Amino acid sequence: MENDQLIAVETFCTYYNVEYSFVESLQHNDLIETVFVNESQFIQLPQLQKIERMVRLHHDLDINPEGLGAIHTLLDRIDSLDREIVLLRNKLRFYEAPQ
Amino acid sequence: MPFVDYYQILGLDKSADEKAIKNAYRKLARKYHPDLNPNDKEAEKKFQQLNEANEVLSDPEKRKKYDKYGENWQHSEEYERARQARGSAGQQQGQWYSGGDAGGFSDFFESMFGSSSGFGGGGSRQARFRGQDYQAEANLTLRDAYETHKQTLTVNGKNIRITVPAGIENGQTIKIAGHGGKGSNGGPDGDLFLTFTIQPDEKFRRSGNDLHYKVDLDLYTAILGGELVIETLSGKVKLPIKPETQNGSMVRLKGKGFPVYKKEGQFGDLYVTFDIKIPTNLTDRQKELFTELSKS
Repeated sequence: MENDQLIAVETFCTYYNVEYSFVESLQHNDLIETVFVNESQFIQLPQLQKIERMVRLHHDLDINPEGLGAIHTLLDRIDSLDREIVLLRNKLRFYEAPQ
Repeated sequence: MPFVDYYQILGLDKSADEKAIKNAYRKLARKYHPDLNPNDKEAEKKFQQLNEANEVLSDPEKRKKYDKYGENWQHSEEYERARQARGSAGQQQGQWYSGGDAGGFSDFFESMFGSSSGFGGGGSRQARFRGQDYQAEANLTLRDAYETHKQTLTVNGKNIRITVPAGIENGQTIKIAGHGGKGSNGGPDGDLFLTFTIQPDEKFRRSGNDLHYKVDLDLYTAILGGELVIETLSGKVKLPIKPETQNGSMVRLKGKGFPVYKKEGQFGDLYVTFDIKIPTNLTDRQKELFTELSKS
């Protein structure tokens, strides 16, 4: 069933050297969504980047799923603030440009 | 090739024990981790150095070699031969994090411990699944950004042809799926994140989807009314001028502004501000007429 859009959780855990319980705890904390097809559990490709980031933070910094949730929220906030900065910079550029 | 002081990178002295190394690495990694410092090249570089320092100092065998030959790394081959003679495999738990565009370790590291891909002697490094994401920048003029166009970019030595949709904003980043690093073991390739810088235009100022344009208007047309041909990004248009047009007044040309990003056929407006020019070098007759006018 694994295809371009679905990655079996088992495959993911093998490649990234993480326990199945880790993926499960991310799911329990509403940090990721998985789908079941024919009783097998899959990760959807668009979520991969987000999950990879959590795995890296977990491996590198020993951060537990609750901490990952907080970081994820803050990073999303940074992202939205970054977009707002671009918008405001463009507005400022308009007023600063020679008329 | 310069010597790399791994102790200095981790802020430790040579007597640091395993626990101190681990603590120092964790503390600094929390500060410089690329996932916590998005788009910060300095943090990425620093994190790579930390990883390299930790790879060496947290492994007793490598630390021993580094302590003995660090500053004289050219002689480390002798050590390697001796080590192999002892039959030590030095199996490592390789770190799977590849971090950033450069990915690998310093030349110093590679020279002492071999290439990062063969690190640990046992090939224990985890295979990566999805390729790395790449970041790139592209410059456009305002006029380039006005129209959907194809552009060829060179990213990591490869030419890729992309379509830049009309209406892109200065500072906007678009994701080009699958143009990042190669995935491993059949995994998907990473993505390319392309950020656009749009150079300011000499004539038009952009505010979102609207454009602003200041035009000179002679005094007589401003007073008596008439017509003015003005430039827009889609060509020249004739603009009727109302009599008694005031200096600094503004007219809106609906739909003559900037295209709305990814909304075909939708455009912002063009705001034209009049800058009325007072005639200079008047003749005596003209001065006479203005005097007469001022008394009427």
